[in-house]
Amino acid sequence: MKFFGYQRQNGEVGIRNWVGVISVLDVANPITRTICQNVSGTIPITTLFVRGQYGRDLEIAYDTLAGMGRNANVGAVLLIGLERTSTEAVAERIRHSGKPVESIMLQDIGGSIAAIGHGIRQACNLVIEVSRIRRTSAPISALSIGVECGGSDSTSGLSANPAIGYVADQIVAEGGRVVISETAEFMGAEHVFARRAINEQVRKAFLDRINQHEQEAIARGIDIRGTNPVPDNIRGGLSTIEEKSLGAMVKAGSSPLMGVLEYSETVSGKGMYFMATPAPAVESMTGLAAGGCQLILFATGVGNTIGNMVAPTIKITGNTNTAANLSDDIDVDVSGILEKGEKLSEAGQRLFEHTLEVASGTNTKSEVLNQRETAISRFEPTI
Amino acid sequence: MLRAIVLHPRDNVAVLLDTGAGAAVCKLQGAGDGQVQLTMPIPYGHKLAVRAMKKGDDVIKYGEVVGRTTATINIGDHVHVHNVESLRGRGDLVKKGP
Repeated sequence: MKFFGYQRQNGEVGIRNWVGVISVLDVANPITRTICQNVSGTIPITTLFVRGQYGRDLEIAYDTLAGMGRNANVGAVLLIGLERTSTEAVAERIRHSGKPVESIMLQDIGGSIAAIGHGIRQACNLVIEVSRIRRTSAPISALSIGVECGGSDSTSGLSANPAIGYVADQIVAEGGRVVISETAEFMGAEHVFARRAINEQVRKAFLDRINQHEQEAIARGIDIRGTNPVPDNIRGGLSTIEEKSLGAMVKAGSSPLMGVLEYSETVSGKGMYFMATPAPAVESMTGLAAGGCQLILFATGVGNTIGNMVAPTIKITGNTNTAANLSDDIDVDVSGILEKGEKLSEAGQRLFEHTLEVASGTNTKSEVLNQRETAISRFEPTI
Repeated sequence: MLRAIVLHPRDNVAVLLDTGAGAAVCKLQGAGDGQVQLTMPIPYGHKLAVRAMKKGDDVIKYGEVVGRTTATINIGDHVHVHNVESLRGRGDLVKKGP
């Protein structure tokens, strides 16, 4: 089976062909948004902070911004920065992908009005340039799929996540990549998931990440209940993080765990990977997209409307009430598994076919309704 | 009749697949069979006990431990945060001592 995508110079295949307008720091956000409001075919990739961040956090911020710029769904990049050093730090991390990278520095260009005017002109030219690329047939092995859940309830682990797991297994069987994230949502399930590690090194790296994450919470003297599971998870019937985790991990399917990735880390290997990210959806999906995922499968139980800016996000629910109440935001309804005795393999196949359609250009609800957001994780204070 | 699913033969809870009024009877499916009478109203998607549990027992779902009971639980009772606690990420326990 194949899909139709945009062949990039570095061999990757995009499922969209956007011009990414990227804020190098928070200061640039209003200009980035204004440019995108005026130029169709662009997406705004904004960020809070960056200035005043240092060490590991600054590296994560630069790597994540650049990773979203390198994502195969982005055909060309326009960076909006304040000054040369930080703008160039992001630009150089994108250029080696071979795509056009332009930049505007607010201090050099003469302020906001000049930056907006100049930015609209540059973005316009880049959109026309990338629009010359046509979709061509590509193998499923060119796909990297993120698997995510948000607003989970007890149906998530019984229907939506298993349906995503079915698709994950198909993608891996065809030579593609699947990335599962959300470190906290392995607490209580890690002993089961770790059995799938490809070797002892990967097993240990995985277990270490989960343990570190839990120890960080414990060291603060805090009970994570109420934060994970969140109150809406609890209303949806999930009592503990262990219960939530056991339902969440099934969206990675059943293939071996090939490796452990840091937040927003890119990998060239195929198969199923774990990326260590915080659990909230926007932050987690930002890491997945920066790590190269072109598409995200997102299970929701009680409902969650958000998608990623760079990686089109397919919203899936197995909760019959949510399928009705949030139908404006749900792309695929798998509530038939619990309500009508639909076989998991049938629902999974339906979702797999829809996934390939989206990869070939069919829009998702969060894309069309612009329910998209970016948030880069930070772990240290700003100085 | 209400439906509830048992996910693993070891489980002592089932997930209610309908909204359960008090004293309603539900039919177990999945890894369970037979019927259970609810002792109290239970919302859609929430858990009910299919075995009696003492305070401090493991709560088993998916065949795995998902928490520990904080009270005695009878068959048909609602099993949730009012009578189950998580064993993970409990910085509060470390601070106060177990």
